[in-house]
Amino acid sequence: MEKRFALVACNGGCRNTDCGYGCLGCGMCQAICPFDAISLNDSGVAEVDETKCRGCGACVAECPQGIIRLHGAGYPIVVKCSNQDLGKTARAACEVSCIGCGICEKVCPSGAAKVTDNLSAIDEALCLCCGMCAVKCPRGAIRDLRGVLTSRS
Amino acid sequence: MATFYVNGNSVTVHKNQTLLRFLRDELHLTSVKDGCSEGACGACTVLIDGEPCRACVPRTDNLEGRHILTVEGLSDFEKQLYTYAYGEAGAVQCGFCIPGMVLCTKALLDKVDDPTEEQIRYAIRNNYCRCTGYVKIIKAIELAAKLKREGVIPAPSETDWKLGSSVHRLDVEEKVLGYGKYPDDWYLPNMTYGSAVRSQYPRARVLDIDMEKARALPGVVAVITAQDIPGENKVGHIKHDQYSLIPIGGLTHWLGDPIALVVAEDQETLEKAKKLVKVTYEPLPPVHGPEEAKAPDAPKVFDEEENNVQAYKHVSRGDAAGAIARSKYVIEKHFETPWTEHAFLEPECAVAYWDEDGYVRILSTDQSSHTTLHECKLLLGSEKVRVQNQLVGGGFGGKEDMTVQHHAALITYLTGRAVKVKLSRAESLLIHPKRHPFWMDFTIGCDENGIIQGVKASVYSDTGAFASLGGPVLERACTHASGPYNYQNFEIEGTAYYTNNPPAGAFRGFGVTQTCFAIESLLNEMAEKVGISPWEIRYRNAIRPGQELPNGQIVGVETGLVETLEIIKPFYDAAVAAGKPVGLACAMKNSGVGVGLPDWGRCKLIVEKDEKVHIYAGASCIGQGLGTVLVQMVVTNTPLERDDVVYERSNTWIAPDSGDSSGSRQTLITGEACRRACEKLTEALKEHTLKELNGEVFYGEYLAKTDKLGADVPHPVSHVAYGYATQMCILDKKTGRIESMVAVHDVGKAVNPRSCEGQIEGGVVMSMGYALREQYPIDENCKPIDRFGKLGLFRAHEIPDIQAIVVDKPGLDVACGAIGIGEITSIPTAPAIAEAYYQLDGKRRTRLPLEDTPYERRDR
Repeated sequence: MEKRFALVACNGGCRNTDCGYGCLGCGMCQAICPFDAISLNDSGVAEVDETKCRGCGACVAECPQGIIRLHGAGYPIVVKCSNQDLGKTARAACEVSCIGCGICEKVCPSGAAKVTDNLSAIDEALCLCCGMCAVKCPRGAIRDLRGVLTSRS
Repeated sequence: MATFYVNGNSVTVHKNQTLLRFLRDELHLTSVKDGCSEGACGACTVLIDGEPCRACVPRTDNLEGRHILTVEGLSDFEKQLYTYAYGEAGAVQCGFCIPGMVLCTKALLDKVDDPTEEQIRYAIRNNYCRCTGYVKIIKAIELAAKLKREGVIPAPSETDWKLGSSVHRLDVEEKVLGYGKYPDDWYLPNMTYGSAVRSQYPRARVLDIDMEKARALPGVVAVITAQDIPGENKVGHIKHDQYSLIPIGGLTHWLGDPIALVVAEDQETLEKAKKLVKVTYEPLPPVHGPEEAKAPDAPKVFDEEENNVQAYKHVSRGDAAGAIARSKYVIEKHFETPWTEHAFLEPECAVAYWDEDGYVRILSTDQSSHTTLHECKLLLGSEKVRVQNQLVGGGFGGKEDMTVQHHAALITYLTGRAVKVKLSRAESLLIHPKRHPFWMDFTIGCDENGIIQGVKASVYSDTGAFASLGGPVLERACTHASGPYNYQNFEIEGTAYYTNNPPAGAFRGFGVTQTCFAIESLLNEMAEKVGISPWEIRYRNAIRPGQELPNGQIVGVETGLVETLEIIKPFYDAAVAAGKPVGLACAMKNSGVGVGLPDWGRCKLIVEKDEKVHIYAGASCIGQGLGTVLVQMVVTNTPLERDDVVYERSNTWIAPDSGDSSGSRQTLITGEACRRACEKLTEALKEHTLKELNGEVFYGEYLAKTDKLGADVPHPVSHVAYGYATQMCILDKKTGRIESMVAVHDVGKAVNPRSCEGQIEGGVVMSMGYALREQYPIDENCKPIDRFGKLGLFRAHEIPDIQAIVVDKPGLDVACGAIGIGEITSIPTAPAIAEAYYQLDGKRRTRLPLEDTPYERRDR
């Protein structure tokens, strides 16, 4: 089956605020990664180097925030936020948070993008990787990890 | 504003727009196809910094510094490589998805030298193809990888263009490199854009149309309503009940009914102006389906009709009720099949302009340029119309009716301007006639040996907002409901109802896809009752040469159903022995219109100044490969070589009317007309060179003569020929998914075996969708609610192993024995799959798409 990579679902826009869902920069994922694939970026947010990641999932279990998941290597369009607060709160917490506005759901041609608990999620089984959601996301919360349709982070 | 690179050249874009619009409308890089503009289909795939992306997604302002590649920008070696690989593999049919597929191929091969099949499937999984079933595209990519590694492009494996040779199709290069023109690829000087304002209600009285604001908008050329129509408002294939524009006071029939045509200088003004046309309605309660339509107090869909019955057919031979009463085993069941959307990759588009001879010239994508001609002449009340087919990006029956052609013609006729009328994908899903949903009650009786004694059935269909081909589809559903078996007691009655749903019409299989599901499912159940295998019950009942079909026709020596069963037997036995859940089904499908209708094939071979023979037949190549078939016919039946022959796309002023690309008829009917023309040409070539014959026309025509339904003759010939098939489905017990499909098809004589395989693979995958997943849900307002990407079409990474086996069985005395294969490929698939699931879990499923399978849409 297709390769999978870890994804830290946080854009790291909340460094100076109090988003309760974001990456804490605790480094536990970095410490447990057997492949040296995770590092903290300039904002102190964990980032996965997909050239090194083997999708073992160790970091997924380790993350105290529960915001690391695996995504298909062929599915570069990802929701890089885990904030489940109501839109107003989520908007205040971070510049690049998902506010559950549902635009992704509306523009998704295949019914893959769905907002549940104020947070967008993409069903890879239905996703056509078109990136329409990423391009139309008013918050920049959905990213193209290839760095083509949006910047990577 | 942004500056980026397109095929290596720096471009600066001032107006922020989607990349697709910029590449097509400004740079005219028309290899980038506009299949949906909503991110779903993949036809506009380009490479951005080496990554496949849909051009309809990003906006130009966000592309600063990026490198965009379209197939126009491939290196010469790559162009040759992909043209060869796609041609050799037989991967190109309608061609609309192909440039996108080619760029996915390049992106993959730039990263991986020797990709596995799984990597290939993943690389193209986001791009839809509706013709090929992906099998040959995957093969093409494997081949391209190999040749790229070797660095050398060989000669095609087969170069003799005689019948039976799998030569590369003649339209491969123009489709791979994207320079072949579909109507949307034309950008004429001073061209306007036209589009229809459509009804807000499925059933309403139009009280008033206010056009003043729209007309006043700068850039609007015209707003046209029914009163401007110079000829007959109502058009239609057989029955003229399709309004070109609903007049004030008239009734709307569905949400697609056009009320006004807006014409503007550009597409943006057009969209603005459409919103400014204010229509006042008196909304009326709509008819949601046949149950409502048949109620005694039902609202009438048409003012002009007495009730909502669009067509009624009754077919009876022998004594079905009596035979069933005397049968040892009897099964009675109800079956239902859904609406299906054709989902061809190219949305409807027509371009019209006044030509140099004073004719309204229509550049069309349709299934018969002559049908478009007839209907447009009717609408304009003028003979001054010419139609020329462009490339057709798939049809499958969905491009037989007027959708945009007549509107384009009318606009040019009234404004004098060139115009492009194109449906958005959402409009396309609403407008063209769909596959009819059917509700069917069947009873079958068999003796103790499983020999069919009689079948009795009653069916009805929803034909929606206008007749289209509702009557003939119902008729074919009824005549073929018996299955390809030898028994003489058969009775069926069928009714098609008008409703306010979108129209239903022709769709690959033409009604037989529906009734075949019923009769074949019953036969599978009957086999179990009798205690024999599904294979055995078919072998015992299969129609054999010289025997009588339930319609009374004595079938010819070319009849090859038994051969398809015999060929599939080892596969079937092996799967059963391995304990795998396996399902089987057979089908027959007429080739040619039949039932006494005038079914003409016509072809002209004209020797032109270039000392080549040009083939002119008024018959559309909709992706099935008719051009290649006709060239192979000429090379086989004359002393000429491939290079002496030129295939000309169908037109209406040189190419004689050779009927619709419908009913699996072109290979046989036009093929025979072409063969007859070849006889005359061959005679002339005995004494003259092509140079001497310059300007000579060699004409061939063929009337496929048949008897009408219910003709008072002992053995009416309903159709000149039938194709036969057996298909088999094997499931993976662990996953419940399809492991493989085997499809054995008797085609008489395979003109181009690889093309035949491509038809089979595409038909099987299309009907896997029909069997397992595809839906076309319609809401309370009679509105189809799903977008293209939600129809449930199969994608490349989901298809099982498919074995397409082509059986040649000579004997048919026309068209060198070739029988059409277009439709039958899709017919037995669903019942074969249903039986396999029964073998897996013991549950008989009588509705499509099948319930409780891993393919079932979770979001329904």
